[in-house]
Amino acid sequence: MAQDNTSQIAKAPAKVVIRDLFKIFGSNPKKGLQQVMNGVDKSDLLENYGQVLGLRDINVEIGEGHITVIMGLSGSGKSTLIRHLNRLIEPTAGEILVDGIDVMSYSKKQLRHLRQSQMSMVFQKFALLPHRTVLQNAGMAMRIRGEEEDAIEVEAYKWLERVGLQGVENQYPHQLSGGMQQRVGIARALTSNAPIMLMDEAFSALDPLIRTDMQNLLLELQKDLHKTIVFITHDLDEALKIADHLVILKDGHTVQQGEPQDILLNPKDPYIEDFVGDINRARVLRVRSIMQPLRDDLPASTNDHVDHDDTLESIIARSDGDIAHAYVVIKDGVPVGTIDMTAVLKSLVPRVASDSGARNY
Amino acid sequence: MSLAAYDWFFDLAGLREWCNAEKSEGTLSMADLLAKAQGGALETSWWEIPFPSLDTLNKSCDAVIRTRDFTASIEQAFIGVKDKLKVVLDPLTQPLSWMLDGALSLFVNTPWWLLISLLLIGTFFASRNVLVTIFVALSFFLLAFIDHYTYAVQTLSIIFVCTILSVIIGVPIGIAMSKSNAFQRFTIPILDMLQTLPSFVYLIPLIFLFSVTESKLYGIAIIMYAIVPVVRLTDLGIRLVDKDVIEAANAFGMTSRQKLFGVEIPLALPNIMAGVNQTIMMALAMVVIASLVSAPGLGTLVLRGIRNLELGVGLVSGFAIVLLAVVLDRVSKASLARINTAHSH
Repeated sequence: MAQDNTSQIAKAPAKVVIRDLFKIFGSNPKKGLQQVMNGVDKSDLLENYGQVLGLRDINVEIGEGHITVIMGLSGSGKSTLIRHLNRLIEPTAGEILVDGIDVMSYSKKQLRHLRQSQMSMVFQKFALLPHRTVLQNAGMAMRIRGEEEDAIEVEAYKWLERVGLQGVENQYPHQLSGGMQQRVGIARALTSNAPIMLMDEAFSALDPLIRTDMQNLLLELQKDLHKTIVFITHDLDEALKIADHLVILKDGHTVQQGEPQDILLNPKDPYIEDFVGDINRARVLRVRSIMQPLRDDLPASTNDHVDHDDTLESIIARSDGDIAHAYVVIKDGVPVGTIDMTAVLKSLVPRVASDSGARNY
Repeated sequence: MSLAAYDWFFDLAGLREWCNAEKSEGTLSMADLLAKAQGGALETSWWEIPFPSLDTLNKSCDAVIRTRDFTASIEQAFIGVKDKLKVVLDPLTQPLSWMLDGALSLFVNTPWWLLISLLLIGTFFASRNVLVTIFVALSFFLLAFIDHYTYAVQTLSIIFVCTILSVIIGVPIGIAMSKSNAFQRFTIPILDMLQTLPSFVYLIPLIFLFSVTESKLYGIAIIMYAIVPVVRLTDLGIRLVDKDVIEAANAFGMTSRQKLFGVEIPLALPNIMAGVNQTIMMALAMVVIASLVSAPGLGTLVLRGIRNLELGVGLVSGFAIVLLAVVLDRVSKASLARINTAHSH
């Protein structure tokens, strides 16, 4: 699943680059921008100047073929940010480079072309056309581009089947459950065959079981398709599960970004510490993040092998609770490090131990 | 010497000369004559001081026009531009006369059995509702049985033409309103005015412009009155289209045209059809009043009932209008319901 990609993060060339992006909502964004540049913060800007700070100094590189997750609570500007990528919202200042070309320089026609064939989008509330069948919805992007109706149908059938929706092609969206509607939403985005996929809280409206299904579906598709995915969520578990690169937003600016494992082990500020405190670390942390790199010789005490992408949970299960156990870590058939159960146990406690979880037991 | 209460004002303002310049010893009103006869400078008491209206001021100062001069000058102005207006408006509106007359003769000259069958087939395909179709059939048989068939069909033909034209003109106006807030702000007062103006009142300028024998006269009156709901509800319907769906349309790069015809109009259709239903009902209301300006149909019978005090004629034709209204309402509502189920989500 995600682990196939996570190990190669640093090498991914950037497909989309967001540089020095600012967004101010209000009657006079230019003036607001000056104030923000001078160091006025979000609440002061609203109180004294009546302008709302949407985004402040965002710099993100979105790696080709990776899932970049932008996470934040409501009001943190994450939905605003994703709408800048296809210019559904115009920035106040900054650059958005797609394949090295600034999207801001695009004419209306070029922008339409970008939206038709470079970027597809999946929405929180599905946003399917209610008066069109599932099949017609799935083929929407190709129909907008003006392609042959036969070709559209073939593609739409193919992707609907791929997301597990055979047999409902001629139904209308309102006849389907939420999870199925979002599958149509994903099929619609895939049928457009765009290399970049924007997913705006795509699974947030679904109930937890269906959400897990959809996350697995997405990871499974990604294994074959290698799309450049920008995924918005407010759910850290979801973010950690699917992210190759995680960007955490707060009040319109990035608090921390990097590999999810790294953020979890080294939270940069109390806000993120708070965030990661409630996470089931055993399920998220992987062996490679906490192993000792291999020295010249294999220690004699190690008596078993684990994969470098295994979760700590699986190690604990295998050790059967024996603290004295140690393992050799294997990557692609070659030993790369060692890990002992003491390190595993230690890593399960956040740097700042949280006691909030204990209250109810 | 005069009765006038406002002499002091013109004296004080130093306008006496200007007033007297216009003075002519022409016609005197009865009141003036009486005042002369009594021959006195009667001081007006403060209790009886009249409102400084045009007529009152005129008594003190002849340079001020009287209200009857004022209305007469409006009439003159209207007559003055009438010929120029007619040059533009006549050819522009002539097709309306042709359409109304054409539809009228088509409806009246089609044999009753053929026309009723066609109407019933149309009803069935629009509503897909057997009960409504049966109701329409019974209504027409009843109207025909009491010899009101021709009148009803005349009324129907006028409604038919005026509703179609209202939709053809009104829907684009509504779309433009939904796209531009400035245009909406400009249009809404006009729509408000068209809707609140007593229906008789806008017959008046039309009577001046066109001769009463021309059918476009009542055509224009009906369209102006009936177009309002379809314009309003088109605007509303398009503005109410789910913002998320519009965003999706934008995100996938739809052109404005693709968005309008592929998303906005289809999703606004239930509202637009509700507007069409209202337009039909208002056209029916107006076609009765338009019988004052020679519109044929059931309205003429109502008018006869009032003019000649033929109570029975008036009542029966009134009933026939109600029946026609119910028929039109049921048919358009049934079609609306059919569209709504096709769009429900």
